[in-house]
Amino acid sequence: MRRVFRLPFGRTRIVREVDDELAFHLEMRMQRLVALGMTPEAARQEALRQFGNVDSVRDDCVIMDEQRERAMSRADLFGELRQNIVYALRTLRRNPGFTAVVVCALALGIGANTAIFTLIDAVVVRGLPVSHPEQLIAVGDTRRVGSLSQGAPRTDLLSYPLYKDIRNNPSLFTGVLASGRAGRLDIHVDGSAGAVEHARGRFVSDNYFSVLGVPALIGRVFTGTEDQVPGSAPVATISYGYWTSRFHNDSTVVGKTILINDIRIAIIGVAPETFSGEIVGSTNDIWLPLSMHDVLNPNQRILTDRSAGWLLLLGRAAPGVTLAQTKARLMPFIVRDIVTNAPGTIGQAFAASDPKPFISDGSRGFSAVRATFQAPLFTLMCGVVLLLCIICANVANLLLARAVARGKEMAVRLALGADRGRLVRQLLTESVVLAGLGTAVGLLLAWWGSNALLVLASDGSAIRLDLSLDMRVMVFTLVVSFSAVLLFGLVPALRASRVELATTMRSNSQSVAGSALGHRGQRVPLGKLLIAGQVALSVVLLVGAAMLVHSLRNVQTQDVGLDRDHLLVVDVDVNAHGYGGPRLNALAHALRDRVATLPGVRAVAFSENGIFSGTDSGTNLQLPGFAMRTQDDSSVAYDAVSPDYVRSIGGRLIDGRDIAAGDESQPERVAVVNESLAKFYFPNERAVGKFLHFQDSLAVQIVGVIADTRDHSLDAKPDRRVYFSYVHTDTLIDYPSSLSLEVRTTGDPAALAEQVRRAVVAVDPSLPINNITPLTTLMSQAIREERLVAKLASGFGVLALLLASIGLYGVMTYAISRRTGEIGLRVALGAQRSDVVNMVLFDALRLVGAGMFVGLALALVSTRLLQTQLHDVGAIDPVSIAVAVMVLAASAVIAVLVPALRASRVSPIVALRAE
Amino acid sequence: MLNRDGGLLRGTLDVLILKALSWGPRHGYAVAEWIKVITDGDVLVEEGPLYTALHRLEKNGWLTAEWGYSENNRRAKYYELSRTGRQELREEVSSWERYSRAIGKALAAAAPAQA
Repeated sequence: MRRVFRLPFGRTRIVREVDDELAFHLEMRMQRLVALGMTPEAARQEALRQFGNVDSVRDDCVIMDEQRERAMSRADLFGELRQNIVYALRTLRRNPGFTAVVVCALALGIGANTAIFTLIDAVVVRGLPVSHPEQLIAVGDTRRVGSLSQGAPRTDLLSYPLYKDIRNNPSLFTGVLASGRAGRLDIHVDGSAGAVEHARGRFVSDNYFSVLGVPALIGRVFTGTEDQVPGSAPVATISYGYWTSRFHNDSTVVGKTILINDIRIAIIGVAPETFSGEIVGSTNDIWLPLSMHDVLNPNQRILTDRSAGWLLLLGRAAPGVTLAQTKARLMPFIVRDIVTNAPGTIGQAFAASDPKPFISDGSRGFSAVRATFQAPLFTLMCGVVLLLCIICANVANLLLARAVARGKEMAVRLALGADRGRLVRQLLTESVVLAGLGTAVGLLLAWWGSNALLVLASDGSAIRLDLSLDMRVMVFTLVVSFSAVLLFGLVPALRASRVELATTMRSNSQSVAGSALGHRGQRVPLGKLLIAGQVALSVVLLVGAAMLVHSLRNVQTQDVGLDRDHLLVVDVDVNAHGYGGPRLNALAHALRDRVATLPGVRAVAFSENGIFSGTDSGTNLQLPGFAMRTQDDSSVAYDAVSPDYVRSIGGRLIDGRDIAAGDESQPERVAVVNESLAKFYFPNERAVGKFLHFQDSLAVQIVGVIADTRDHSLDAKPDRRVYFSYVHTDTLIDYPSSLSLEVRTTGDPAALAEQVRRAVVAVDPSLPINNITPLTTLMSQAIREERLVAKLASGFGVLALLLASIGLYGVMTYAISRRTGEIGLRVALGAQRSDVVNMVLFDALRLVGAGMFVGLALALVSTRLLQTQLHDVGAIDPVSIAVAVMVLAASAVIAVLVPALRASRVSPIVALRAE
Repeated sequence: MLNRDGGLLRGTLDVLILKALSWGPRHGYAVAEWIKVITDGDVLVEEGPLYTALHRLEKNGWLTAEWGYSENNRRAKYYELSRTGRQELREEVSSWERYSRAIGKALAAAAPAQA
């Protein structure tokens, strides 16, 4: 028996082999039968009969052979993979320094990407943790989760009566809930004797839990009857988090009565752990029925007030009903409802002003954090993707350098007949193992990083997010590391396996180096190309970062129209102790007079909203002879202020006078307006002396114009603003519901905080003080996302710079070591040291220059994406470009100077001997 | 005597194939001839299923196959027992003997004594 070689496998071969085998059998049988005396034809028939169904046997055999070969090739592949992994691990263990550097770099890149994506996922992508979030439709401006706006009909926030009208019309939604701010809750858990505590609360409709499909963990949730008679349901459902932190998971909490704002409230149940509420970015402790609002806040009567907008709605659309259909039906309903119910001509005016609809996808709930951080997060995402690209280029360069070192090994294996594909697979396995290690470390970094980012972003306000690494984040991370492998692993692997046998085997390491750092016939060496690419990407990152920093500087140093460095803002809680009306006026004056006597205080003002307090008031005015084209045209912001307000906060009067102490006792109502308002309504006239009308009738005379102040936002355009006299506001809009003091000091305001606190306590020891904060602190909290982005982008920029410099240093060192002979020869022939340095520098800087050129072109295009986030920074910002180019050029020179100087010290004898 | 139940027939055929190959590599025709002769044609009524069985045993890893040249110099596929195949044959033989001993004893038993 002789053996023949196995043929390559494949379906056609299998079929042929089975056919051959069966044909052999039938022929042997025929010969046998012919030998027994049959005719060949009869023998053929008999052989087939004895065999049975040839076709079905043939098919069965083919199927089984195919299965067998597939299993074998799988086993082969797995075997190779295992072998490759073992080999890769061994190689990497033998080069611990190299491995550590690469793994750390990749971990940094992948970790940063995952960290930012985790935040994007939690803030922007993920749906609410309720059943079928995709059916939810939000009504109202989803950013205004903590707002109350009184005085005019509006569509961005809804009133309680309007909500009830929508809810009572079942054709709009299968169920619709409402939720609104609860403000500050003073809570006594164990009777009024204990210390007062605060918890985050929201007023929600009694169908809140049933519409969201959230059952109680223990006890019960609201049953849908709590709002039937306003004030009749002193009950609360608490969150799992609050149950754990305050009640230590004690199940007897159900049925317990606590005091909220001195009202007895019974806890009826605990929500499940997975339910964090309908607001992304904050968690809630206590849910109270909407109809309890006025009982718990006796100063406010907003349940019956159609002009009080404070609710956001989440409706569950009937199956098959689209957002567009809901919008088309709901918006006319809301407008009609407002027109029917608003007093006087306000409704018609509202409808005529073409009100903006606020009806949107509600699957991701409401979020102020999302509105603030969405754009910054995408900016940061672009930054970390760039960073990862730079890191990949760096790692690719390292792998390339190593490929050079292993050139001989590759050459030997290829010469011995190794398959090139197999070598590439093996080198790629190494990259995959590196990326795997990098990803593992990166995930740890990401977990730490996303939480750290959240803390940074939370400056001055508590942002709470579920940052668990869910499926989406994992898939993202896998895709990122896979792309990274392709970016940094594939090219070096292909390049390394393409060594030129002849030159390499001659054992001259320099010719192997040629394969990585450029050999004959190849114009730009790959290593240098990678460096230029890194430089280009670094330019993009640096220019972007510089623009963000520049913008932040603009915001921080702009003219704010008031004495920012010497103001202390005191926020007291007047609601807690039932201050209101005349009593509140008296308290305000008493506090002002008391604080004004403190040494170091230049002036004291008080106002309803304060400066950078987070609350602002808006209303609509009428102006005879001025045609309002839209609803926005009539809306103005307002504050109720003390006499001498402008002088006290360090503002600038452009025209007229401040509100004077004498105005408070006069029946005539006067106001100061800001420059924006004066220019808008009285473009060609003097505003002082004119009258503004509010609530359809009441007139206020303008006595002064103040230069625009930045009193609530540093980056938004200043609103048109009216300043009324604090004591007169009740006759215009409503009694002021809050009070803050603006204390102008001669020195550092923070130093006076404690004395001011004591002065307040001296006036009313029981008055709760929310905050005493220097204005500069409030301002920096107000631009926390700008600061965060600028800080992180600069960090990424510095990192990119560092990586590019290290890469440049490495490549130049290597290039110079290859040219040692040449340099030695030049020196021997009389070249000066400076000539050598210049030559090397010129060589490197040409590379850097090319990278910069490409990078600047890229930056000009890509930084346009930043435009919406920039403040007073043009699309082409010469300052930022100059800074980026200079910083990069300086670090490039430093990175290259070291090897260049070393090269210039080459002794010709040593150099020539090395050849 | 042997019924035509697929399971029993298949088990029987498998063990006969393993036995046929226990003396060395053979091609399919030789295996078929040996089984026909040794069982008087009772087990292998049609020859086709033999090939299905050979390929199945090869897939299971009990047989290995190689192409070679037959006595009359024709290309033929030769089957050989693998190590696991040889082990399988030993187990089949011993369980068959246990089984037939038990059945034999049962069929030879006298009528039980009346209580």
